[in-house]
Amino acid sequence: MIEFKNVSKSYGSIKALADISFKVANGEFVFITGPSGAGKTTLLKLILREILPDSGQIVFDGADIVGLSQEEVPHLRQKIGVVFQDFKVLPERTVRENVEVPLAVVGVNPEEWEARVDQVLKLVGLDKRTELFPSQLSGGELQRVSLARALVVNPKLILADEPTGNLDSETADGVMDLFEKINKEGKTVIMATHNERIIEKYKKMEIKIKEGRIVGQEKVKSEEKIEEKEEEEKEEEKKEEKPKIKVRVEEV
Amino acid sequence: MNIHLNTAVGYIKRSPFQALAALFVLALTFFVGTHLAALVYSSGNILRYFETRPQIIAFLKDEITPEQVSALQNKLTSDERIKDVKYVSKEEALEIYKQATSDNPLLSELVSPTIFPASLEFSVSDLAFAQEAIDEVKKEGIVDQVGFTASLGGEKTLQDVVGRLKTISWYLRVGGAFFVAILAGTSLLVLLVITGMRITTRKGEIEILDLIGATPKFIRSPIILEALIYSSVGTFVGWLLAFLMWLYATPNIVSYFGDIPALPKETLNFVLLFLIILGGELIIGVGLAFAGSFFAVSRARRNK
Repeated sequence: MIEFKNVSKSYGSIKALADISFKVANGEFVFITGPSGAGKTTLLKLILREILPDSGQIVFDGADIVGLSQEEVPHLRQKIGVVFQDFKVLPERTVRENVEVPLAVVGVNPEEWEARVDQVLKLVGLDKRTELFPSQLSGGELQRVSLARALVVNPKLILADEPTGNLDSETADGVMDLFEKINKEGKTVIMATHNERIIEKYKKMEIKIKEGRIVGQEKVKSEEKIEEKEEEEKEEEKKEEKPKIKVRVEEV
Repeated sequence: MNIHLNTAVGYIKRSPFQALAALFVLALTFFVGTHLAALVYSSGNILRYFETRPQIIAFLKDEITPEQVSALQNKLTSDERIKDVKYVSKEEALEIYKQATSDNPLLSELVSPTIFPASLEFSVSDLAFAQEAIDEVKKEGIVDQVGFTASLGGEKTLQDVVGRLKTISWYLRVGGAFFVAILAGTSLLVLLVITGMRITTRKGEIEILDLIGATPKFIRSPIILEALIYSSVGTFVGWLLAFLMWLYATPNIVSYFGDIPALPKETLNFVLLFLIILGGELIIGVGLAFAGSFFAVSRARRNK
């Protein structure tokens, strides 16, 4: 689906990405993790061709997107659904109109709009909110609009840049459940996040970035592995507790 | 409704004063433009009338014979510079006089055909030949005097009449075109400013559309469409106001100019003339809208 081959990107003297290489296969769910300023957003911007790398290749769907002409960039973006931390919904359009916009962009026959919009709004649970404006929605609902907008054109890849960054943990879980559902339906998801709780909870492939370099790449964490880890942690806790008891006994 | 049209209408509804300013300036431009176009048409027609139909009249002496008249008539007819040669007898001259003084029958009762000279009336194929034709006819023995029918106010020769009309027409065209050019320039600037403001206020929206894969054409479409709505509505309103004024004034204009076809006398032709003017103005209006919005969009892209 997507492959980074020795990609580097600098902003002046600041090295945002240094010789990054990784592959994401069709249908995978990948977390790009790392602290703020690690290069996560730069990586997503490179996939969207918002910026160009200084060197290296980015292959999407079998084609090197670095060499695309400016006229071809919109066609690349039409194949990718994007979800942003700050939602980026159009404030003067209703929920339905926001979701209709990508259909108009891609050139889908307007007769098909209603059915497709209804389908994705039902999927994200906004089928009762179609005529509301963004100012009338909560943060979680806005993120769902953003997700519905990304999904409506049936893209091959969903990019999400800190989609839970502005949400409380309960709402974030709701949004993450949706991403998981979408992924199970066969969509590839690349999500930049630094939310440790989400990374731990959703057990996906993880590419860790620090100071523009990949510092770790973990395959899908199996439930057994997590259970093992949890058991290890419990045992460690018990070990730490034993001396305390001993001390108490002595004291008594 | 088409998504671009819907967006453009939404833009207009959200900033009604901006829309009114644009419409007012454009309507004013095309109001003046319509007047100018109608005036240029009328002056052109009047000028053409005098240029192509200079009626020269050779008044004949009383004692001439029909053979002499016929000989001169043939001579004039065979001259390539001269056309429409017509003999007007004394009786016919009296009839013309009676018609001209029909509002005062006393004047015609006091005269008899004998006091009117017979004449040969003719026109020239080109105004440049008029003076030499007059000079040549004057030398004919049977000709008493030579005159011309066109006179606007004390002109001594046909060239004076046409020269004066040409001057009026030139001032009308150049002055009017200059004035309309200034108004069109103002309209272009207003469209440019409004489109520029629209791009600035919609920067976030443009950014989102860009990220979800909208082509530059898709992003530009509602902005250009908005400018097109301003220009077409402004053009139509300006034209309509001017058209109504001309419609009201036409009966007086037509009766003032009489035979001179300053404006079409038939309603259908009159409406057709103004529809042609509207068509031309809509093309100019669309051109202004495209130019204004394209300048603004390309400027915004340069500053991106």
